[in-house]
Amino acid sequence: MYKLLLCLRYLRTRYLAFICIVSVMLGVATLIVVNAVMSGFSTKLKDRLHGVLSDMVVDTDRTNGFEVVREARRPLTPEEQKQNPVIPGSRRAYSLGTRFTPDAREDYYVDGDEHVTVRTLTPEGIVREITSGPAGQYIEAITPTIDTFAVLQYRDRGAVVAKPVRLVGVEPTGRTKVGGFSEYLVRQKDAATPSFDLTPEAVQRYEWNLMQFRHEHGADAPPPPKLPVPDPLAPPPPNMQLDVGIERPKLTGAILGYGLAHVRYKDANDQLLEEQVLRPGDNVVLTTAGGDDLKPVWGTFLVTDYLRTEMSEYDSSFVYVPLDQLQRIRGMVGRATSFQLKLKDYQRDKEAVSKELRKVFPTREVMIRTWEDLQGPLLSAIDVERSILNILLFMIVGVAGFSILAIFIMIVSEKYRDIGIMKSLGASSWGVMQIFVGYGLLLGTVGAGLGTALGLWITHNINAIETFISRQTGTAVFPRDIYYFKEIPTNVDPLTVVLVTVGAILIAVLFSLLPAWRAARLHPVRALRFE
Amino acid sequence: MLEAVNLTKAYRRHAVKVPVLNGLDLEVRTGEFLSVVGASGSGKSTLLHLLGTLDAPDSGSVKLDGRRIDDLPARERDALRNRTFGYIFQFYHLLPELNVVDNVLMPAYIGHSTFNWWKSRAQWRKRAHELLNRVGLSHRLTHRPRELSGGEMQRTAIARALLMNPRVLLADEPTGNLDAVSGGDIVKLLRDINRDEGVTIVMVTHNLEIVHATDRVVRMVGGVVTDDTPGAPKQLPFQPLMLAAV
Repeated sequence: MYKLLLCLRYLRTRYLAFICIVSVMLGVATLIVVNAVMSGFSTKLKDRLHGVLSDMVVDTDRTNGFEVVREARRPLTPEEQKQNPVIPGSRRAYSLGTRFTPDAREDYYVDGDEHVTVRTLTPEGIVREITSGPAGQYIEAITPTIDTFAVLQYRDRGAVVAKPVRLVGVEPTGRTKVGGFSEYLVRQKDAATPSFDLTPEAVQRYEWNLMQFRHEHGADAPPPPKLPVPDPLAPPPPNMQLDVGIERPKLTGAILGYGLAHVRYKDANDQLLEEQVLRPGDNVVLTTAGGDDLKPVWGTFLVTDYLRTEMSEYDSSFVYVPLDQLQRIRGMVGRATSFQLKLKDYQRDKEAVSKELRKVFPTREVMIRTWEDLQGPLLSAIDVERSILNILLFMIVGVAGFSILAIFIMIVSEKYRDIGIMKSLGASSWGVMQIFVGYGLLLGTVGAGLGTALGLWITHNINAIETFISRQTGTAVFPRDIYYFKEIPTNVDPLTVVLVTVGAILIAVLFSLLPAWRAARLHPVRALRFE
Repeated sequence: MLEAVNLTKAYRRHAVKVPVLNGLDLEVRTGEFLSVVGASGSGKSTLLHLLGTLDAPDSGSVKLDGRRIDDLPARERDALRNRTFGYIFQFYHLLPELNVVDNVLMPAYIGHSTFNWWKSRAQWRKRAHELLNRVGLSHRLTHRPRELSGGEMQRTAIARALLMNPRVLLADEPTGNLDAVSGGDIVKLLRDINRDEGVTIVMVTHNLEIVHATDRVVRMVGGVVTDDTPGAPKQLPFQPLMLAAV
C-alpha cells in the first residue's frame, strides 16, 4: 500500500518528476507524429503507386505483343483423306484456309495424316482463355492494353515541344473495370463508362485552332520551308516509305497526364504558378514505333481529358489513347502487350492467380507480376526508410530514458533518509525497490499517455499547424509542388501508437531499475544518518 | 525480554576499523523504561540499532524472549521492525510528502497489502486518530511535517511508533532536538505510555534530567555497559556518576 501511496505523492510533489514526464511526453508525441506522417506518405504513395496499376499485370517484352498460339491435331477422316490426296513422291501437306473469329485467327492445315488447327489468339481470345480457366474464379475484371514508349509533340506559342511519354492504348470501359483509371480523370471523374469522345467545347476549340492555322497559313498553305542550309548535325532522314501500310488514323481523343498539359513554374516573386498549355481540343502528335519493325509511326490526337493521380511520375508521363487506334498505328491489330487484371480479393488470391496464369503462359517472355512486384524497389525503399527513421526516432525516447535515469538518481539521493525511515518501519528492500520502479512506471505511463494525446492532437491538426508555422515564418514547411499533395497526409496506425506508448513506458521502467536497485541496497542506518 | 549477549560492532572509516561495541551484555526486562546514557561515540545508538535489528552485530547475539533475532531472514526482521519494535528518532524522521495522519499510518501501510489495507483502513484510521488525540495533535491531522513545531513532530513520531502496538519502543535521543519544556512533555508522554500500556521502552539520551523519569539507567563507556543502576529516580548517588559520564 505504501508503495502506491508514495509513488503518487512523489509524482505530485517532485518537480523533477515533471521534467521526466515532459521528456517522455515529447519523445512519444514526436514518434507518433512522425510515424503518422511517414505512414500517411507511405500509404498515399502506395495508393498512388497502385493507382494506375491494376492488381496484376500479365505482359510481354515483345514489342508486337502477345503471340499465343494453340495447335490442335487430329487424324484425317476418310473423307478428308479423299479430299486431300497424297501426291506421289511428296508428303501430304495442304493449307485448308484461314478463318477469323473474335477470339482467334484459325489456320487449318493437313500435315501428313493429320488435320492441324493453329489458333493464334486475339486479345479477346486470351481473355476468354484466362477467365474460363482455373484462374477465372479469382478474377473480377480483365482488359488488354498496349503499353509502349512515345514522343508527345505539340505547339506552344508557335514552337514545337516534344516530351517522352508512356503511351497506353486502352479500351476505356474495360480499363475502368480493373480500377485505377476513371477515378483519376479530371473531366470524367468516376464515370462508369468513360470515353475518348470530344466534348462540344473541345470540338469548338479544335475548329478554332483549325481556323487560326488557316488564317495564319492560308487554306492551302504549303508545308513550312526547309532550312536553306542543311544542318550537318541533323540525323539522316529515315529510309522508309512513311505512308505505306499505315492507315492514317482519324482524329480522336487522347487523355494526357495532368503534368504534361500543365506547366508549373515560379515567377520573379517566387510565387508558384500553373499554366495550362494543352486545352481540351488542342491537337498533339504521338510518335512511337511500329510493333513489328520498330519503324517510327505517329498519330494525331485531340486532348479530351486529363489524368490526375497526384503522382508526378505518372502525371508527367502517361498518355492514354484508344486501344484500337494504337493497334492500327503500330500495325498490331488483334494484339496487345499486356493484360490488366483486377482480383476479387487481391491479398488472398494473388499467389493462386499467379500460379494458375503461369500454367496458361509457361514461356519466359510472358511476365506475370502483381502491382507490388512492379513497384517492388520503391515499396521496399519506403519500408526501409520508415524502419530506419523509427530506430533513429526511438533514440529520442532513449534520451528521455537517460534523463529519467539521471533524475531518478537525484531523487533517490534526495530520498536517502526517507528510505532509512521506511526500512526502520519495516519496509523490505524489495518494497523500496518497488517504490522507485513503480515511480518509473507511473512517470512513464503519465508521460506516454500525455505524449500519445499530444501526438494524436498534433497529427489531427497537422495541416492547421503547418499553415500557422508557414504564415509566421514566411516559409512553406510543406511545399505542395514537390509531392502534388494538397495537404500533409497522415495515417494513425493503432498498433504503432500502442507499440510506441508501451515502448516508452518500458524504457521508463528500465531506466528506473538501476536507481531503484541502489535505493533497495541502501543500509538503513547509513540512510538515517545521511545529511 | 530483550537481551544483548556479548555484542561487538565496528565500523570502517577510510580503511580504519573503529570498534564501537566491545562485548556488550544487556538485558531489557519486560515493561521497564530503560535509559541508556554515555558519552558521544560510546555506542549507545549502535546498541539501539542492533537491538531493533536495523543493523547486524559483528559477533554476539540479540535475543527477544530467548529467541535469537539478529540472524533471522530479512523478511522476519522487517516484520519485527514493523510490529514488535517502534522507533523514535532525535530528528523525528517523518516523511515530508505525507501529512500527520499518513505519517502515523505509515507502519500500517507497510504492514498491509493494498487489498488488506482497504479492508481494514477504517480501523487503522480510527487508531491513528486516537493516538494523535492522545499525543495532543488532533488539531494537526492534515498538516505536513514542515508546518509543525519540533515537539509536535516528535509527538507525531511517537504516535507513529505506537500505531502497531509494539512491545518495545526504541527511542534515540527523543528530546535531543527539543527545548526543555517540549523535552519534558515528551518524556512525560513516554512515561505514561510505559505505565499505561506496559510498553517496554529503551531510551538513549544525553539529558540527565530526563533519566529520573526512567526505571533503570545504564551507562556505557567504550562500547560496554559500565553501570547498571535500577530505580534511578530514587537513587541519588547515581547523579554524580551520570554527570561524570557526560
